[in-house]
Amino acid sequence: MKRIALLLWLSLGLPLAGANDAHREYDAMETYEPHVRGDQSLSGSYKHWAHPGKLDWRLAGNPEENWKLNWKFMDPPFNASVHGGHFALDRGEELFRELNAKARFARCLGAGKDGLKGLRARYPQYRADLKRIAGLEEVIEYCAAREGRVLQNGSYDNSAVSLYVASKSNGMPMRVDVGKGVMRDAFERGRKLFHTRAGKLHLACSSCHTHKVGLQLRGSVITTPYGDAVHYPVYRTRYFLQSLHLRFAECNLDTRTQPLVPGSRAYTDLEVFMTALSNGYPVTVPSERD
Amino acid sequence: MRSISILAGLAVALVFPAWAQGLPRDAAVNAAAPNKTLEPRVVTNSGRLEWLPHAHNLTPWPTLSHEDRRPAPKPRKVRLAGPLDGDAARGRDIAVRPDKGYCIACHQIPGEEWPGTVGLDLRGFKQRQYADAAVYQQIFDARVNHAQTVMPPYGTNNILSEQEIRDLVAFLQSLE
Ligand code: HEC
Ligand code: HEC
Repeated sequence: MKRIALLLWLSLGLPLAGANDAHREYDAMETYEPHVRGDQSLSGSYKHWAHPGKLDWRLAGNPEENWKLNWKFMDPPFNASVHGGHFALDRGEELFRELNAKARFARCLGAGKDGLKGLRARYPQYRADLKRIAGLEEVIEYCAAREGRVLQNGSYDNSAVSLYVASKSNGMPMRVDVGKGVMRDAFERGRKLFHTRAGKLHLACSSCHTHKVGLQLRGSVITTPYGDAVHYPVYRTRYFLQSLHLRFAECNLDTRTQPLVPGSRAYTDLEVFMTALSNGYPVTVPSERD
Repeated sequence: MRSISILAGLAVALVFPAWAQGLPRDAAVNAAAPNKTLEPRVVTNSGRLEWLPHAHNLTPWPTLSHEDRRPAPKPRKVRLAGPLDGDAARGRDIAVRPDKGYCIACHQIPGEEWPGTVGLDLRGFKQRQYADAAVYQQIFDARVNHAQTVMPPYGTNNILSEQEIRDLVAFLQSLE
């Protein structure tokens, strides 16, 4: 068995280590302000959704134009219907209480004297105990394991707890500091990944989300990468509860690109990048998307 | 039953890991399965994420993993040899099918609703009077004409066969 594996490895001639001099292609490497207002110079749609309290309903009612609201009209309080996200939130609260029975779980997540308040707005962050940058879902998996529970990153229960934790920051602006150190490096790696062509269709995230914003791909209109992270995990009518990393996997699969597992370093770097592009925008859960 | 087979699949994946085939370790694959590529399925009220076999094997192309050291295929200039010999009806089918060209994701062609607007409108294509060879090259690998194009390199990346590209050329050249 081992020999077969080794032979295959050799015959494919694809070493994992060593200089990365393989030919890869990139979209024009744009710059992004780590704040939602950066969208002013990208899609220009920001002015329509900058103030969650003042969305223009005429745009929402017009299928040609509603993308300019960045689908924010599907967030609470505009979307007042009860959907799967609310059930997930209840489930998350219940799981959180069980996990936190000894008051260790919340502390492990990083809760201070304000409890869970504001916690969501500070993730992803560098975790000294993990010796790396981690998103909230990765830390939930880690802290749950310390309580003897399996809550795999991307699973319904993991995202439900994430949703509950996020709900305690509802209305608080995202603020992930990518100005220096390892967070800045992660932001830069994420930005590069965002422009990296991959997969069978040879597309980068930016091929759509930066260079074709507002245009139509079959039935869907492509939107800006600004302001997305604040409504995750999101309730998808097709997928139930979806974490941000699973959304990356979906866009990868849609463009015939081999997806990575949630919590992978590359997805975490993309998460740092996309979350920084939501800085200044309020956490808004539970949200729903088609 | 299904969960048993998935567990078995995972066990095999551990015995026969992704990196043994030059794939990054963080790729969602079962290296022992025919299609290798897995897709996630979220199971309500469960702490485990299920992985199901994906319909297509996507492992031959580079991923976004930091570990992935595999090259992306370079732009390829091609020559259209011999007569075109394409079938316009088959070409139309290839243009609309999601598992084939799915050109309508980005382009408008006559008679299709919900067209894409990322690419140019292809209605009345014949009037543009391009040579067959130029259209063949655009579909085979558009990067030769425009390095930053978002149009996939259908020939270079083996998305479509040479005959299928000929069929598409015949179809586009038939659009009055
Ligand atoms: C072929 C075009 C295309 C590519 C390439 C692509 N996406 Fe998407 N993506 C879409 C479309 C279409 C949607 C749904 C409409 C929207 O919200 O923009 C979407 C939605 C999303 C969303 C959800 C937005 C929300 O409001 O919840 C995220 C996040 C996202 N994409 C990230 C990515 C990332 C990261 C990549 C690269 C790994 C990527 N996408 C690659 C087309 C694409
Ligand atoms: C992801 C989007 C996308 C897809 C899918 C796509 N194209 Fe394109 N196509 C473009 C863009 C953008 C252009 C504009 C020129 C360029 O950038 O290469 C283009 C240009 C073209 C042109 C040149 C038109 C002209 O008048 O100069 C042809 C022909 C064409 N595409 C055919 C096809 C066919 C056939 C398919 C399906 C097999 C297809 N395209 C799929 C995006 C796409």
